[in-house]
Amino acid sequence: MQAEKSTRPRQVWQWADVRRRKLGMWAYTLNRVSGLGLVLYLFIHLAVLRLLAGGPAAWDNFLALVRSPLFLVLDVVLLAGLLIHGLNGIRLTITGLGIGVPAHKTWFLALMAAALILSAAGAIAIFTM
Amino acid sequence: MAIQVPIKVFRYRPGTAPHFERYQVTVPDDATVIDVIEGVWAEHDRNFMFRHACHHASCGTCAVRLNGYERLPCIVPVTEALAGRQELVVEPLRNFPLVGDLVVDVAGFFQKQAASGLVITRAAEATLSGQPFAHSELFSQAGALEERAYNRFENCIECGICISACPTMAATDKFWGPAALAGIRRATLTTGDCQEKAALLALADSEQGVWRCHSAFECTESCPQDVDPGGAIMSLRREIVGRKVKHLFGAG
Ligand code: SF4
Repeated sequence: MQAEKSTRPRQVWQWADVRRRKLGMWAYTLNRVSGLGLVLYLFIHLAVLRLLAGGPAAWDNFLALVRSPLFLVLDVVLLAGLLIHGLNGIRLTITGLGIGVPAHKTWFLALMAAALILSAAGAIAIFTM
Repeated sequence: MAIQVPIKVFRYRPGTAPHFERYQVTVPDDATVIDVIEGVWAEHDRNFMFRHACHHASCGTCAVRLNGYERLPCIVPVTEALAGRQELVVEPLRNFPLVGDLVVDVAGFFQKQAASGLVITRAAEATLSGQPFAHSELFSQAGALEERAYNRFENCIECGICISACPTMAATDKFWGPAALAGIRRATLTTGDCQEKAALLALADSEQGVWRCHSAFECTESCPQDVDPGGAIMSLRREIVGRKVKHLFGAG
């Protein structure tokens, strides 16, 4: 029988499919999700800065909004996203150069533990300062 | 003792919509999953397409996705595959063009495998002269495997499991892929020819080479032969970067 060359679209959703997969795949997907989240944040950040063009009143109203508990929670999410993506990126750079490859899962767990602790410390600081 | 095994299998023919069908197959309780797959063909549908050959994990032909994970069904006991489940779920490998049912087109995969220039030789296979290898041709007197350009003993059985498991292969089939890069790594270690080694490293350093890997390490996790393609890719990167750094400082 003749093989069809393209019977299904390439299934890029596999990037987010961690079912039955191992820790390396979770790290892979986490890096993509956190990366997309940070790109989204960048655009929100630029849109918010645009409020400056609306004059001091618009800016003061916005400042009142971002001091609400909901926005402070979003600050913690942002901090966690930066730490997860940044620390995971350091792991990828090191193992990607062939250093410490057999321990890549240990690297991941240790760095994500560090991200968790630093995010918790950041959350305390954000809500108490 | 015979047991009834419920199995849900992927069915497909060109021009038809892919779908699943359910069957019940009777096998001995010490059977492996390949026996159940064969049972679908033998007991239910003679048109059912699947691949198999050696039945002992040396040919890599029968690789499928079993219960959502890449396995060689010839070495998975039915009882293990059914543990905690109502039925077996069997699908073809991902990231290959489909031919029909469980059969995928592996031609492109084998072309990439050949890129390392290594000829696949095993003790049971014929040599270029047509004669089988004598034991002494593969092993030294001390029992160590001889380093020979045509020995491909990095254990890869070309099953394609790593291709199905790799999320980068889901984005592009142009990527050399884990198995071919593991072969290239093996060839760089074996060759004593500097020019050949440089050519192999250039292949690995190309657009679809080692830099397309995004370190999910699913190839290494799923490989039934412990080839560690992910480790091989990272070793190639280290070597490529090392050479470039040396070159930068005028030493290469
Ligand atoms: S590297 Fe492992 S998983 Fe990939 S084709 Fe070879 S044996 Fe199969």
